[in-house]
Amino acid sequence: MNTESKNLENLSSDLENNYNSLGKKSKSGERVGVFICRCGGNISDTIDIERLKSSLDANFVEDYENLCSLNCRRHIREEIMEQNLDRVVIAACSPLTHLKTFQNYADPLNPSMVEMVNLREQCSWVHDDPEKATQKAIGLTQAGVEKVKSAQALKKIISRTEKSAAIFGGGISGITAALSLANQGVKVTIIEKNPAIGGNMVKIGKVFSPEKLAEECSLCILNPIINDVVNHKNINIMTKTNLRRAGRRSTYFNLVLEKETSYIHEDRCIACGNCVDVCPVEVPDEWNQGMTMRKAIYKPFAQAVPDVYTIDTENCKKCGKCVKVCKMDAIDLKLKNEVVPLKAGSVIIATGHEHFDLSTRPEYGYERFDDVISQMDLARLLGVNGPTLGKLQKISDGKQPQRVVMVQCTGSRDEKSGGKRYCSKVCCMVALKHASIIREKFPDTEVVICYTDLRTPGMYENYLRYVQDKGLKLVRGRPGEVTKKGDHLLVRVEDTLQRQPLEMETDMVVLSEAIEPSEGTMKLARRFNVGLSQDMFIKEKHAKIKPVNTDVERIFVCGTAQGPKDISESVSQASAAAAKVSEQIKCGTEAEPPVAIIRTSLCKHCGKCKEICGFKAIYRDEEYMSIDPMACKGCGACAGVCPEGAIEIIGLNDQELYAQMEGLLRDKEDGEIRILAFLDNVGYTAADTIGNNRVSYPEAIRIIRIPSINRIMPEHLMFAYEHGADGILMAEYPDECMLEAHKAKMKELSESVAAQGIPADRLRFYKAYAPHYRGLAQQFEDFYMDILEGDDLKKF
Amino acid sequence: MIKKEINPKSNKLVEEVKKDYRASQDLGIKRCMQCGLCTSNCPAARHSNYDPREIVKMVLDDNWELLDNPDLWNCFYCYTCQSNCPVNNSPCQVNQVLRQKNLHKAEYKIKMKEFSAYGDSYLDFGVGSMPKAFFDGMVKDYGKSYVDLKVNLEDIRHELGLEDYNIKGKALEDVRNILKESGFKSRLKKFKNAKES
Ligand code: SF4
Ligand code: SF4
Ligand code: SF4
Ligand code: SF4
Repeated sequence: MNTESKNLENLSSDLENNYNSLGKKSKSGERVGVFICRCGGNISDTIDIERLKSSLDANFVEDYENLCSLNCRRHIREEIMEQNLDRVVIAACSPLTHLKTFQNYADPLNPSMVEMVNLREQCSWVHDDPEKATQKAIGLTQAGVEKVKSAQALKKIISRTEKSAAIFGGGISGITAALSLANQGVKVTIIEKNPAIGGNMVKIGKVFSPEKLAEECSLCILNPIINDVVNHKNINIMTKTNLRRAGRRSTYFNLVLEKETSYIHEDRCIACGNCVDVCPVEVPDEWNQGMTMRKAIYKPFAQAVPDVYTIDTENCKKCGKCVKVCKMDAIDLKLKNEVVPLKAGSVIIATGHEHFDLSTRPEYGYERFDDVISQMDLARLLGVNGPTLGKLQKISDGKQPQRVVMVQCTGSRDEKSGGKRYCSKVCCMVALKHASIIREKFPDTEVVICYTDLRTPGMYENYLRYVQDKGLKLVRGRPGEVTKKGDHLLVRVEDTLQRQPLEMETDMVVLSEAIEPSEGTMKLARRFNVGLSQDMFIKEKHAKIKPVNTDVERIFVCGTAQGPKDISESVSQASAAAAKVSEQIKCGTEAEPPVAIIRTSLCKHCGKCKEICGFKAIYRDEEYMSIDPMACKGCGACAGVCPEGAIEIIGLNDQELYAQMEGLLRDKEDGEIRILAFLDNVGYTAADTIGNNRVSYPEAIRIIRIPSINRIMPEHLMFAYEHGADGILMAEYPDECMLEAHKAKMKELSESVAAQGIPADRLRFYKAYAPHYRGLAQQFEDFYMDILEGDDLKKF
Repeated sequence: MIKKEINPKSNKLVEEVKKDYRASQDLGIKRCMQCGLCTSNCPAARHSNYDPREIVKMVLDDNWELLDNPDLWNCFYCYTCQSNCPVNNSPCQVNQVLRQKNLHKAEYKIKMKEFSAYGDSYLDFGVGSMPKAFFDGMVKDYGKSYVDLKVNLEDIRHELGLEDYNIKGKALEDVRNILKESGFKSRLKKFKNAKES
């Protein structure tokens, strides 16, 4: 381990110390060097480099042909040593592409001691008049010198995640993620609310395999994985366990779990099953969708893991009969729920889904008619370990149905009350799978699928053909009603391709029930303050580029807790979530300034900062308000609302900001116009693109890069106006989670500068788009022309 | 074969339907997925050639011939489709807008004749209710219980703590005046007097 990382390990967890500035030298004693790049003519063809050099006030000024070349790396290092430089200004191209490089070239210096001036994109490429361009280059570079003088050296901000994870949900997603992390040496706890792990997958019997054109036994696939999980030294499984409280810390979560008692000492139970026969209580068995009965003491299913009996405390009468027959002395009816604390570095939410409540669609008769069942019911019926041992039988009379009609999209793609507007994504394939099994094993039974659209994308289409080959009947239409006529059920549907209402007799109706978000997932989300989507699933941070992150740092999501999906997709997502947790643990992660810090000594715990931060970077731990540097974007919104002035933005402090503004407004000539443009990263990128495309705009525009307009306070703007700014443009592409704060900020700024007598059109806001750089250039041009042509120039 | 020529204004009919004040603000007509659920439960579809799904499709296809489709007159506004449609469309409301578009034409005025009895009920009782003219038919369909309900309706409502169903006295006078002043009454008369052309 190198010394630097050792140092980092020793960092106190006290954020305040963590961010203490290293710069102790007095400002006057600082030696600043300026390195100017000619950029092979890209800069020097327009800007008079000699004049620039001679006009700068710095301790050292030199120009180079290609400053980013490896050769110059040596030059920069040598000059820093020889000239005894403390700070450097690189007057070259865009910091977006090259700041890292030059921070590296200036290595003995702290990265914050390197300031870049964008002479190429913001000057030589956008201005044609060499005289004016040179004037501006001098101004920009001198402002860079002033700014870097105010820079504070920062320690690296590393946030190391604890090497442990809590995974909520013991279904296929949770198990997959757990195993992957455990294999990488991470301590994992699986927290499952049911008495056994395995989730829905163990129940469904067969899974579809489009690549093999077959149905495979789900338990056979899952069992070896479950065994690995059980035997893994890094995995702890907690069944019948729920989250009670969750506290967030900077590198871990403090969880309080409650393990419901099962009145059984799990370590003593040998699963002999003697207790079952004597138990007098019988209740419907959820494993078989209530189609069979079980006792109050039971094992959820034959291969259940953990392999122990459990008591359903709600229905147990405490008669004590089981206690007497248990030779292992494993049953104790006085056992109580246990509260267990758990420290976890990361959290994965893999709490799965529930099924649509079919009683809310009485027109389909799920509760009225025995032979109207759900796909999950059918899965159990077809399961060799199910209530009929795999025989297809009508519930009403035990006979094999001659026709089975499946009703797709029950509760899905349905905006009526209680319905789900989304497509549940798996039910078309589930219906086909069951149709395939029925046609194979019970060829005398006809299968009709009533569909609105059959959704079998990609390879799944091959599977559809395979099932069609087995003799499948399709009716395109969504049934409106299921009733009874004589001995048969009757499905009313329009055969839309025939343009005819159709009454179809059948013996059995199977409703393809929607997948819906589970109550447990929503509860968990509330406890962790994790955001939900409009459809009440866990919302991913970004569907495209952060599909398994949630909006809370170090909490991830996978499987159907995030939205409807099948097993393959759930497993991919689970693997991705595990990879993300492991990435965070292994790499430690370095936060990029700017970030916000709270001076805890000033903070009065009002919580205003927490409220405004859409990145959910701010949280309340036991005593303090804290900011997670990894989640913080340094936008500055919190600093703007803190009534105590307790929040500071490290990496872009007020002194730097003032110094840069002053520099950019200095030496303004009579009648000259200066416009400050505050640009966030997207705006800045657009401005770079303007340069890349050589679109020109007035020299009056002077750009300041900021994390967000939330960083800017009214006093900053007033300072600019007082020092000669004729106009201020603020362009940003606000983060979606900060839209409100952004709006409030625009209002605050406009109102306060108006109150100081600044004409309204001298402060402009613009929504930046990276690809629409011409729009930004037009803004620059228009702003300039408006001021030039207005007769109130400088007279506000 | 249907030939579809390039026509950038092919949304006219659906836009007119959506804009109409008879259509709910959030009418889901543009979201129709042609699932046919409306038709599956539609009594008119069961007993005639009417197909609410197809009506919606024709509107979306900007097929103005629809306005002269005689099937349009088979819907009797039971609103089953509206309460069933998974995307909050209402073929029933769509139908109302479509019919209205033709009512200025003589050949359609006659179609209104059989509905005019509903109009009378506003004039008679101040509210829309089963017109007298349909009474016998209802008794035939529902039996004596219908007569009982009709005769005792106000008593039953009082027992349930509800106010009178029919509007009475000054209020009824007001309603009648409004119907008269607004031209409802004379329009109704025109429909009643419409002759087969
Ligand atoms: S997967 Fe098929 S049945 Fe399920 S909601 Fe989507 S379209 Fe309907
Ligand atoms: S807004 Fe300021 S005072 Fe209030 S909790 Fe946040 S840091 Fe503390
Ligand atoms: S509001 Fe902005 S600066 Fe403050 S903690 Fe959140 S992301 Fe960081
Ligand atoms: S029920 Fe609604 S979505 Fe379906 S065809 Fe009828 S109008 Fe269209």
